[in-house]
Amino acid sequence: MHVSLYLAVAQWALLGALGVFLLVLFRQLGHIMQGSGSSAELGPRVGSLAAPLQYRRPAEEQVRRLAPGDGQPTLVAFVDPTCPSCEELVTVLGALRTAGELAGLRVLLLISDPASYLRISEAFSATELEVGRPSDPSGLDDYRVSGTPLLVAIDQGGVVRAAGSAMRAAEVRHYCESCQAGNSATPVLAAEPAVAARGDS
Amino acid sequence: MAVTQTLLQIVVLGGKTSIAVLLLAAGGAKLADRPGFASNVRLFIPMAFRLPHRGPAVLAVAIAAGELAAGAASLSVPQARWLNLAVAAIYAAFVVVWAVGFTRHRGRPCRCFGALSDRGFTGSGLIRAVLLAAVAGLATTVVPAASIRLSLADHLGLLAGGALIAAIAFSAATAAGKAAVAGRAGGHPRPRWA
Repeated sequence: MHVSLYLAVAQWALLGALGVFLLVLFRQLGHIMQGSGSSAELGPRVGSLAAPLQYRRPAEEQVRRLAPGDGQPTLVAFVDPTCPSCEELVTVLGALRTAGELAGLRVLLLISDPASYLRISEAFSATELEVGRPSDPSGLDDYRVSGTPLLVAIDQGGVVRAAGSAMRAAEVRHYCESCQAGNSATPVLAAEPAVAARGDS
Repeated sequence: MAVTQTLLQIVVLGGKTSIAVLLLAAGGAKLADRPGFASNVRLFIPMAFRLPHRGPAVLAVAIAAGELAAGAASLSVPQARWLNLAVAAIYAAFVVVWAVGFTRHRGRPCRCFGALSDRGFTGSGLIRAVLLAAVAGLATTVVPAASIRLSLADHLGLLAGGALIAAIAFSAATAAGKAAVAGRAGGHPRPRWA
């Protein structure tokens, strides 16, 4: 039986691609089966003192300082306009703010993308929450931001009460409550809220 | 120019099938990460032409579907020369996208293979895009009709093979997306603060 040259070449190309993608598929499945190897690197340790941060608001030259422990509970959200999950989070935070559920809580959205990227996202361009970009990246080491979105709930004493990811209103609300309910005078035992939240390991 | 030597024909046809398979894989992987790819599409839409709310998502699906269609057609209907030109044009467009991405959005993930790759727009990526475009250009070279003559069963077999590649790329990208979500917050790569 005559096989055209094209068919012979195409078969090898398909076989090669099939092999490569099967390997990739099994590798990814392996990562899922093993769980998250890098989860311990996500977010600051629950119970630790939150590190101070310096940031600039978009279109501002003035460097502002976030000083955990200044008596105001703070929810820091590491987000990016180019991250679809972050847009969901910002939308949820905006809705909670409108509903008055963020009263008494300082909420700071910290982005790594340039401020000009805020315009490409409807959620970010419309948000009334405070947005800033860290001016000193070295201050972020303690926050261990290995991906976005990352929420860090800090109580009035500057202690990290919860850290992890959240997108649904119930999960985000739990982080807000963690900020408000915390009391730095008592040891932190079980402050991990919500699905996908990660604390001390 | 037509090539008649078998070795040269193998090079041309190998390039043609490889770039067709690559289109199928890229299209399948992009479909698995529609929100992520849509957020990248937004980067390339000028503010003056801002699309409605669902616009980037629809455009992202259209691009992925277009890649799948072009890849499948190019792989299974090698006699259609115009398809070679269309595929070469697509790869030339990729070079333009990479050049713009490298210039304006350096380091941002390109999501060319959905969640399978979080490589950013880099110089090496731009060189890769140029090389692929060169291969796509090479694939427009005419080969003797006898070398690309296929029966109906051959056409269907190649189409099925292409669909299989797209399906596996889709599955692998879906798995990669879930692994990323499990491993690092919401799955968006490590931010670049500098």
